Amino acid sequence: MTRQELDLSINGECHRVMIEPHWSLLQVLRRELGLTGTKENCLEAECGVCTVLLDGKAVNSCILLAEQCRGRSVVTIEGLGDPEHLHPLQIAFIEHGAVQCGYCIPAMILTAKSFLDEVRGHVPTEDEVREALSGTLCRCTGYQKIVDAVIAAARRMNSWPQEDRRAS
Amino acid sequence: MSVLERRVAGKRLNRLDAVGKVTGKHVYAADFALPGMLVGKVLRSSEAHARIRRLDVARALALPGVRAVLTARDVPQIRFGTAIKDRTMFADDEVRFRGEAIAAVAAVDLDTAEAAVRAIEIEYEKLPAVFDPEQALLAAAPLVHGGWSGYQALPVFDREGNISGRSSIASGDVEAGFARSYRVYEHRFATQHVHPGYTEPRAAVASWDGNGDVIVWTNTQLPFDMKNMLAEVLDLPAAKVRVIVPGIGGGFGGKLRVGVEHYAAWLARRSRRPVKMMTTSEEELTDAYPRQPTVVTLKTGVTKDGRLLARQGRVLLDCGAFANSGPATAAIALQVLAGPYRTPDLLLEGLAVYTNKGSTGSFRAPAGPMANFAVESQMDMIADDLGIDPLELRLRNVYREGDKGPAGETLASVSIEECLRKAAGAIGWNERRPACENGRRRGKGIACSWWLTTGGSSGVYVRINPDGTVTLVSGAVELGSGAITGAAQILAEELGVELADINVTEVDTHAAPFDYGAQGSRTAFSVGNACLAAAKDLRRQIGELVSAQCNVPADSIRLEGKSVVSGQMRMTLAEVASLSQRSGGGLISHGTAIQPMPAFDPDRVKHHPLPAWTSHSFHAHAVDLSVDEITGDVSINRYVVAQDVGFAINPTYIEGQIEGGVAQGIGQTLSEEIVYQGGRVMNANLTDYKMPTTMDMPRVESILIEKPSVNGPYGAKGVGEPPCIQPPAAIANAIAAATGVRVQALPITAEKIALGMPGRDAD
Repeated sequence: MTRQELDLSINGECHRVMIEPHWSLLQVLRRELGLTGTKENCLEAECGVCTVLLDGKAVNSCILLAEQCRGRSVVTIEGLGDPEHLHPLQIAFIEHGAVQCGYCIPAMILTAKSFLDEVRGHVPTEDEVREALSGTLCRCTGYQKIVDAVIAAARRMNSWPQEDRRAS
Repeated sequence: MSVLERRVAGKRLNRLDAVGKVTGKHVYAADFALPGMLVGKVLRSSEAHARIRRLDVARALALPGVRAVLTARDVPQIRFGTAIKDRTMFADDEVRFRGEAIAAVAAVDLDTAEAAVRAIEIEYEKLPAVFDPEQALLAAAPLVHGGWSGYQALPVFDREGNISGRSSIASGDVEAGFARSYRVYEHRFATQHVHPGYTEPRAAVASWDGNGDVIVWTNTQLPFDMKNMLAEVLDLPAAKVRVIVPGIGGGFGGKLRVGVEHYAAWLARRSRRPVKMMTTSEEELTDAYPRQPTVVTLKTGVTKDGRLLARQGRVLLDCGAFANSGPATAAIALQVLAGPYRTPDLLLEGLAVYTNKGSTGSFRAPAGPMANFAVESQMDMIADDLGIDPLELRLRNVYREGDKGPAGETLASVSIEECLRKAAGAIGWNERRPACENGRRRGKGIACSWWLTTGGSSGVYVRINPDGTVTLVSGAVELGSGAITGAAQILAEELGVELADINVTEVDTHAAPFDYGAQGSRTAFSVGNACLAAAKDLRRQIGELVSAQCNVPADSIRLEGKSVVSGQMRMTLAEVASLSQRSGGGLISHGTAIQPMPAFDPDRVKHHPLPAWTSHSFHAHAVDLSVDEITGDVSINRYVVAQDVGFAINPTYIEGQIEGGVAQGIGQTLSEEIVYQGGRVMNANLTDYKMPTTMDMPRVESILIEKPSVNGPYGAKGVGEPPCIQPPAAIANAIAAATGVRVQALPITAEKIALGMPGRDAD
C-alpha cells in the first residue's frame, strides 16, 4: 500500500482521504467521496465535463492529481447551490431551457461561474461567453441556450447590490 | 379543445428534471454505484480479421484482486443481433474487427482490471480482410461471416454473402422516364462514420439478487429491448431480468443496443459480486454504434423546366463487422432518396454490407443525412445546369397534399412548400451570393427533407394520488430531449392540474408498462398519446364515482383547477382520489397508444421493415456562410430551420432539439469523421475526433410550423431526429454558391474546399 493521507477542502468542508499518489481529483471526488455531480467522460481534458473550481478557477479534475489540491479550495456543483437556494446561474440555465441530458451542465455552470467572477461588474458579450465555455462539449443543445443563460445570469448578478454580489 | 384554451400544453414550461440536473443531484448510470462493486474491463482484438491461435488467461487470473475472467470458452456462444443474429459476446475463434471483445475481467479496482487485461496472452493468425464496401460486393471479396447463411435473421431482409440486407422501392418505369427526359444527371456521393458523441459514456452496473434475478442499472434508450436481449445472452427467462434506467447522459441512437450490460451481468454472475462497466473514449470510437458510412449513386431525369421524371438511386451502406440496424437503415434511406419530391418513375435500392470494421448503428435520423446530402446536393447541381433558381426548382417538385408517397401511400398534412418559403424568406434568399468581404466569399444554401414519426406501442400507468398530485409511470426513457416533460404537459392539460403536480418515476422494467423506447422521434408523440388515453379513462372513473356520490350526470363533469366540477358541484381532485382509494383502490389507469400504418402498395416496396412512413414531418434548412479564399475555412453567419412540428408541445425544448440537431449536422458536415486506415481507427480520442464547440456553432433560428398530424397528441409530429438531416446538403450548397466548389464527400474540410478553388493546383 502506497496510500497516503490527504486533507482536502471541498465545498468549504475538510475531508480526510487516503489516496494513491497517482489518483486524480476526479477519482477522489467521485469514487472516494461520492460527489458524483462532477462528471466523468474522456479523462484527457477534452470534453470538460469534469470541471470543478480550484481556488475559484475552472479546472479539469480528470488531469489534476488530488495531491495538487492539498491546501487549496475545491468547489464542485454540490457546493454551488441546493434545490432550495439555487445560484443565479442555475436558475438561468433552467429558465432558458439550457438543460437537456444535463451531463455537461455542472461543468458549464462552474466554468461560467469562474468566468463571471473574473469579469465581475461587466455583462460579457456573446463572443466572450462562447470563448469562456469552449472547453466543455455539449452534444444536446448546440450551446445557444447555454450562452443565453450565462448572459442572463451575468445581468442578474450585476444588478444586485454590491454587498450581495460579494456574497455570491 | 381549441388552442387558445390550453393552459399547459404548448407552453414554455421548465422541464421536470431540471433542478436535479443543475445541482448535480440527478444520478446518471455512470454515477451509479453499489457497495462491494467490482470494476469490469474488456480485452479487445488488435487485428481486423484473424483466427485466434492461442488465448491464455492464467496470468490474469493469478493477479491479486482479480475476481473473474471470461472468454468465449466460459459463456454459451449465443448469437444475438437486431436484424441478424450475427454477433456473440466474445469472438469465438475468429475476430472480425480491430476492437472486437475477446475476454472480460472483473477486479477490485480499475488499475487491477486494466493490469489483468494486459496480462492475457493471445496469438493471432491473420486472415484476408475487406474494408471498402464496394470491394465487399465483389465475388472475390473475403466473407466477413463465412457462416452467414446459417444465421437467424428477420425474414424481411434479403441477404447474401457480405450483403446483410437488400431492399428496394420501385414505381413506374425508370428507363422510359430517362428516355423521356430533357437531361439526365448522374452523381456519386460519399459520407463518413460519425459518432453520436453523447457526453456520458455507456455504463452499467449489474447485480444478482436472492431469487436468481439479475438487476441491471444502465443508460439504455430501450429498456425493454435490453431486458429481452440480456435474457437471451444470459440464457434466462425474460422475467428474471430487470432493467432500471437512472439518468442517461445523451444517446442520439447510440445507446439503443447492448454495449457493456452483458459483460457486467456475466461478470457479476461469475464473481458473485456487483460489477460496473463504463466505456472509454477509445472504446467509444472503435466499438460503439456510429452512423454508417455510405456511397450513394443518384441518376435523375428532368424536363427542360426542371420537373423530375425519373430517379434511380442506390445507397451502399457499410455496416461494419455486424449488421445491427444496417439493413433497416439502408431501407429507410430509400424514402429519403425519393422525397420530398413527386417523381413518377422510381427505382431505388438499399444495400447494407459487411466489412472488417467496427459495428455501426442508428445515430439520430439513421440514413437521413447520408441520403439527403445526395438528393439535395444534386437538386442544386440540376438547378445550376438548367439555370433555374434552386428554391424554385424545389418548389416545382415538392409533394402536395394528397400526393402519393414512394410506397403509394396517400400523403396528408404536407407542409414542405411552407417550410421552404419560410426558411428562404428568413435567410434573405433573393440575395444568394452577397459580395465578398475581407477575402471571404459569401453564399447561401437551402435543403429540405421529410422524415417519419416512428410507431411502436406505448403504455403508461397514471395514478391520481390522495394529495391531488399525479404519478406518471412510463417505460420510456427521458433521453434529455424533454419528451417526458412534454408528455406530462399533455397529461396535466387533460387532468386540469399543473405540470409541477406530475411526478415521473424512474424507468424500471419490473414496474413500468411496455414502451417501444426512446427512438425514432416518437417519445413525446407516443407517450403523449398514451397519456391522452390514460386521462380519458381517469375522467371516466371520476365521472362514475362522482356522479354516484353527488348525483350529477357523469357526462357533465369537467376537470379544471385541480378539481372536479359539474354545475355548482365542485370537489377537489384530492378529495375524489381519497374517496376512490377508500372505496375502490384509487384512481389509476393504464393508457396505451399505437400508431396505425397507412395503406400502401406492397408491389412497390421490397424487403423493407418500414414500407410506408407514419405521421411524416417536413422541414427546410437555409444557411448563410463565408469561405476564406485562401484556406477554405468555413464560417457560418446565419442558420435557419423551418420545421413542421404539427403542434409545439413545448417550444423551448423543440428549439433545443433543433439547435442540438443542427450542431450534430454541422459536425458531420465540416469536421467529424472516425478515420479508418485499413481496419484501424486513427483518431480514437476526443482530441482528434472533432465535435463542434461553442466557437464552432452559429446561432440557429428556429421557425416552428404547426400543421397538425392526424395521429399525434393535439396534432404533434415527431421532432427529435430531423434537425440533423439537412445540414450537410444545405452547407454544401452554400459553399458551392460562395465558391463554385462542389464537394461530394463528407466531411467538407477546408482542405477539400481550398483544393477545389479556381487557380489551385489539385496536387
